[in-house]
Amino acid sequence: MRIRRISRSIKNASLAAKVGSGIVLAIFVLVLVGPFFIPYGPYDTSSVIDSPPTLAHPFGTDYLGHDIMSQIAWGGDSSLLVGIASALGAALLGLLVGVVSGYYDRLQPLLDGGADIILTFPSLPLLILFGSMFPVTDLLITGILVFVLWPPISRSIRAQVMSVKSRPYIESAKVSGMTNREILTRLVIPEVGPIAIAYFVLTVAAAVVIVTVLQFLGVGNPDIVSWGSILYWSQQFAFYRGDWWWILAPGLIITLLALGFALIGFSVEEIMNPRLRT
Amino acid sequence: MDFLKKRILTAVAVFFVAVNLDFILPRLAPGTAAEIFASGTKLPQHTVQLLNARFGLDQPVFVQYYLFMKNIFATWPPYFGVSYNFYPSTVTYLIGVRLPWTLLLIGTSFVLSFYLSYLLAALSALKRGSKFEFAALYTSIVFWAVPGFWIGLILIWVFAVYLGWLPVFGNVGFDAGSGLNFVLSVIYHAILPVVTLTLVVFGQLYFLLRGAAQEALKSDYVLAAKARGLRNQVIAFAYIMRNSFLPVISLLGYSMASLISVVIAVEFVFGYTGLGDLVVDAVITRDYPLIEGSFFFLTLIVIVGGLIGDVLMLRLDPRLRR
Repeated sequence: MRIRRISRSIKNASLAAKVGSGIVLAIFVLVLVGPFFIPYGPYDTSSVIDSPPTLAHPFGTDYLGHDIMSQIAWGGDSSLLVGIASALGAALLGLLVGVVSGYYDRLQPLLDGGADIILTFPSLPLLILFGSMFPVTDLLITGILVFVLWPPISRSIRAQVMSVKSRPYIESAKVSGMTNREILTRLVIPEVGPIAIAYFVLTVAAAVVIVTVLQFLGVGNPDIVSWGSILYWSQQFAFYRGDWWWILAPGLIITLLALGFALIGFSVEEIMNPRLRT
Repeated sequence: MDFLKKRILTAVAVFFVAVNLDFILPRLAPGTAAEIFASGTKLPQHTVQLLNARFGLDQPVFVQYYLFMKNIFATWPPYFGVSYNFYPSTVTYLIGVRLPWTLLLIGTSFVLSFYLSYLLAALSALKRGSKFEFAALYTSIVFWAVPGFWIGLILIWVFAVYLGWLPVFGNVGFDAGSGLNFVLSVIYHAILPVVTLTLVVFGQLYFLLRGAAQEALKSDYVLAAKARGLRNQVIAFAYIMRNSFLPVISLLGYSMASLISVVIAVEFVFGYTGLGDLVVDAVITRDYPLIEGSFFFLTLIVIVGGLIGDVLMLRLDPRLRR
């Protein structure tokens, strides 16, 4: 039954969601499969320097002759991995906290206050600080991102849970003897789950952008090829050399990825939240 | 008034935790400040001790904590110490010089973006289901997704490098002098950063406004207004948009927090010497007094922004006054 429901909702998905999924899929293919097919390595310099996009180098080359498409294909691993992993962690944590604080009133001020504090503290300086204090690993960045990204999710889940909590079928479940835990797992979570999924998708977009910003600012090692580090070097040299493609290509890929996730996430949210439908 | 009291209490609590974090975080780093100051070179032992004494790091943590709090709250202006990097300027002086520039950027972009989102959302509410609404919605999604600093880079390329119309970096020309020339130079340099920030904030604001407008569209008073035969324009601006403000303003505090992060990146891209640029410098070079000071003020900006939002809410929404 569930499978049929899911496949039907995929078919009925709006055009936006389909376009978004297409874009995301294309970029995934580029990052996962690209490295096997692209003839140049990301660190290979060549004599073809400052080349605008050509057939041989579809995204052009930089001032040392690196093929930019290769750099994007190889460098996307860390951004994608960290983005998805941290969004997953944040969504799960946000779901947990949101459900608990929405359902159990006594815990609400504590959990909500914690979320408030995290939301108020400027996240980027915090990330840069941790990035420069401790050796930067993907795990560290993922951990901090989860810490920073869960509050918004828990807020909306909490609001949702609070509105579900007051519905008659929850009351009748309580009266008929279901334990709180059963109510939560069997009734509440399936109700708010889809919203968590929508937020998860949106958070992946945000996380990938944040990771890129960190790499762009030079946190971690800018000599390791990653989407942000390509922009780090291009910011320093591209203007003088006239290599506009060097700035355009990586940024465009990141934008398309975030856009793809945003399209999916927003259209899922539109479906879940009937009030937003046009 | 209950509402405001509760919000002020929350703000104070958040601020208190933030200030404590401000003290703790820089001290979590491995290595003492003196070692970092030496950055890799080896200092003789007595120099390390001298440095530590100078920066007050040889005292027990509790004493440092007491001094930290005392210097911030008991003296005016709040004293955070002397910056390691920009020795011998005090942190407060550095922040004082740069804060107005950042506020200029944030203020201008927030206001511009608010007007832009408001206008587009109102027009979209009028022309429901039209191509205009469709275009506005997806444009805002695009700007939500695009990394702000990249917009900045592209704008620099197009307008400063390729067309040469606007300056590449800085917040004011070197030879701007004073008076009108100065003001013009400031505006000239601020255009690109402000445009960048406005576009980013627009991406976030528009979706909220649109959601609220859709809600308002379904309400009874709009139905009544339509039944009374009011023109669509009047309904859109007077009824729908007025009532859509609230969710946006209530989220002012959190928008500020995320805006700060974007401002930091944008200032870095444009070489705009504001608070954001200072923070990046401070953190990367581990300039602890400067880190403490700028975190303090950044958090202050966010909290004050949130409180302003709450006060506005109180004035705009009579339901909260009960």
